[in-house]
Amino acid sequence: MANHSASQPAHVQHHFVDSDQQFDSAKLGMWVFLVNEILFFGGLFCAYIIFRVWYPDLFSQAALELNKVWGGINTIVLIGSSLTVAMAIRSAQRNEIKGLRINLMITILLACVFLVIKYFEYEHKLHLGIAPGSFWNPTPEVLAVLDHPKANIFFSIYYVMTGIHGLHVIVGIGLMIWLYIRAGKGHFNSEYYTPVEITGLYWHLVDLIWIFLFPLLYLIE
Amino acid sequence: MAEVETKKMTTLQVQRFIPSENPTNTYLTDEKGVWAWMTTVDHKKIGLMYLASVAFFFALAGFLALALRTELWTPAKTFIEADTYNQLFTLHGAMMVFFVLVPSIPAALGNFIMPMQLGAKDVAFPRLNLASFYIYVIGAIFTFISLYMNGFDTGWTFYTPYSSDANSAGVIWVTLGVFILGFSSILTGTNFITTIHKLRAPGITWGRLPLNVWALYATSIIQVLATPVLAITILLLSFENILDIGIFDPALGGDPVLYQHFFWFYSHPAVYIMIVPGFGIISEVISTFSKKTVFGYWAIALSSLAIAFIGFLVWGHHMFTSGQSAVATTVFSFLTFLVGIPTGIKILNWVATLYKGSIEMKTPMIYVFIFLFLFSIGGFTGIMLGALSVDIHLHDTYYVVAHFHYVMMGGTLIALLAGLHYWWPKMTGKMYNETLGKISAVLIFIGFNMTFLPQFVMGAQGMPRRYYNYIDQFQPFHQTSTIGSYILGVAFLIILYYLVKSLFGGEKAPSNPWNSRGLEWQSTSPPDFHNFDHTPVVINHPYDYHKPMEEFQLGIAVSHNGHGEHQDEAVSEETKKA
Amino acid sequence: MSTTAHKHEHHVASAFQLWLIGGALVVLTILTVVVSSLPIPAPLDIITALSIALVKAFLVAAFFMGLYWDVKFNSMLLIGALVFFILMVTVTLLDTMYRNDIVPSF
Repeated sequence: MANHSASQPAHVQHHFVDSDQQFDSAKLGMWVFLVNEILFFGGLFCAYIIFRVWYPDLFSQAALELNKVWGGINTIVLIGSSLTVAMAIRSAQRNEIKGLRINLMITILLACVFLVIKYFEYEHKLHLGIAPGSFWNPTPEVLAVLDHPKANIFFSIYYVMTGIHGLHVIVGIGLMIWLYIRAGKGHFNSEYYTPVEITGLYWHLVDLIWIFLFPLLYLIE
Repeated sequence: MAEVETKKMTTLQVQRFIPSENPTNTYLTDEKGVWAWMTTVDHKKIGLMYLASVAFFFALAGFLALALRTELWTPAKTFIEADTYNQLFTLHGAMMVFFVLVPSIPAALGNFIMPMQLGAKDVAFPRLNLASFYIYVIGAIFTFISLYMNGFDTGWTFYTPYSSDANSAGVIWVTLGVFILGFSSILTGTNFITTIHKLRAPGITWGRLPLNVWALYATSIIQVLATPVLAITILLLSFENILDIGIFDPALGGDPVLYQHFFWFYSHPAVYIMIVPGFGIISEVISTFSKKTVFGYWAIALSSLAIAFIGFLVWGHHMFTSGQSAVATTVFSFLTFLVGIPTGIKILNWVATLYKGSIEMKTPMIYVFIFLFLFSIGGFTGIMLGALSVDIHLHDTYYVVAHFHYVMMGGTLIALLAGLHYWWPKMTGKMYNETLGKISAVLIFIGFNMTFLPQFVMGAQGMPRRYYNYIDQFQPFHQTSTIGSYILGVAFLIILYYLVKSLFGGEKAPSNPWNSRGLEWQSTSPPDFHNFDHTPVVINHPYDYHKPMEEFQLGIAVSHNGHGEHQDEAVSEETKKA
Repeated sequence: MSTTAHKHEHHVASAFQLWLIGGALVVLTILTVVVSSLPIPAPLDIITALSIALVKAFLVAAFFMGLYWDVKFNSMLLIGALVFFILMVTVTLLDTMYRNDIVPSF
């Protein structure tokens, strides 16, 4: 009847034949979810492209308000975190649980650095009155440089895109803390590290989105 | 014909497993009690919970429709205020689209039947499946909360700037409800794609997938690609409402047509999410009740994918009069004509399936014929609307209303009824009253045409849609339409009656009342908790009615239900029967 | 086939490989910042920036996300998503780029 054969490890769910099928299915499912995320951010990139084609001067002017250096540092921070999460998966594959936890922790810390830098960027702008929507109230110094009538649109797009990206970073941090705790309880080993693998995929996507956000928002000349 | 695996060819020991006609333990008896249902990860129970929810919303939105039609009995006010009227048709549309049509066939019937058609024990991610259901429920709750706030009257399309200006709490709540609901759709699609790729029983190659599964596969692809764009659209709309972010509002520097682009980028593929699973059901039912293989298997399978793809490129045909560039309108019109072709191929192939078939006019089959008639009208009128010059005249008239009711109700809903009546014995283990089934099918046909045919004529003569008032020349049309809607209401009540009655003391259903060759029928009625008590092995094409039933009831001999060694090597042509 | 039980080994990347890719990504980031300050006429400046970004994205997807060693279908999913994104943008631009007025007035 429908009894679980003792030949399958405990982590294999009952509707899967074996561990490989379960792992492959989880990866496939996560990639399908990433497709979904790409289209989600894709809508935002689409809005960006449309408005940039309409108002190219606005975009050149407004980008001057964004700090390339901090944006570049954030990009390198995220790349670093992608590296460490890939190392974390590698540790799990080699049954090095301590290495897994260390790499996860570094990833989390780098992600937090990203958020801190973002926080200071936002704070600086809000100080200057560069705020989304109805809070748009730029100081005279800003207006001297940025006199385009549609300037609020660029920053609406900026805040929404980086804001939603930032939300995804926060979710990623939460997921990795959860992984860190589970790893500490011995849930993962070289036979079973699926949650680490698929969370890693999610995290790499967050990095990928930023790889495109950075030049499109910060590096317009 | 049957495909042969080229990579690893192993011989499997198989034996015949005849499903028991008197199952003692079924999925209904194995988990009992409200809590067991609410926490189940069994795809069959989740499918039934979706079915009940969809039926509930259909009844609610249906009553709204009856209220609307009653109001339209006379020009000017009959018994509803104008503002209320706007809220009612908005709610009717939003509920029908988001809470009934989009989830209905995939989440209710698809969840139940598809894993069984694949010979699997469940979908790939059962807990995610349950989460999808609860996300659906939460989305519904948000919508009800929005009604408690001052409601919303923007039309189900929430066009800006009206929807972003109003600063209305009602709009924010309902759009967030739809945002949440979108995730239910996305996760179901993710689940189905993974299941179809990874959980097929030995012998089920892509060339032997039931057409219902092909349809659900195409639908899931659309769900995963289109729904996120709806999600971002609604998020941006909410930001416009709450923060005055000016992407869609011209007063804030934005573009209202851009909203329409984003909205319809999802909502056009959404109508294919609604209809393509219906196509899958039609293939299943028509072959069973013609005792014949479906004509042009690959044409139908691949046309579902073609519809999915081309369906992403035609959204601008909802915006011909919105101020798009001439380039865009022309391109969209051309592509709209193109998307009719794969659908037409299906209709012709189904008709060809009937030719020289041994046709049995049971209730599901009657619904298939009704579908072929009503959906063809709907499809043709869609093509007519796709012609630019014609659409300038017909846009925003009752012609459009009639068109989409013919495809959505005459198409999706009729297909849902066909599938429901087809798989009811399998899901519940009971037979419904066949005579009442036939009577209500005929009533639906009469009522439906009476309701919506006059609307084509009205629309062509200029009666605008969403209008509360009208000039006297349209009154006979409106009144005919209203009477038709009452007939529809009666028919649905009869269906509800005999289906519910079958659950209490209905005739016990055999495992395969229709003598179908489908794999889902080679199980008990109702099925076992794990669907099959063996690992099924498939050696034939799904609709090979010329082959004996024994060949469709094979499973791995002395199976540990899928666990253990060598259970899943490729099946060669030489399977030894134990 | 679907239920392949053959134990296919999960590819374990070498630490050196990963650091190499990480290093390349950092270099490319610095490159894109430097290039952005050079006077390049439009639209070449956007093309350059996006090309560098695409190379970076390829490195992340192929080597960090493991697509290079993974089943081909997962790569097809990624490419498919990008195809639909491009379709969404280009077809919408068919409207927005060819309008007479940016915001239609009635």
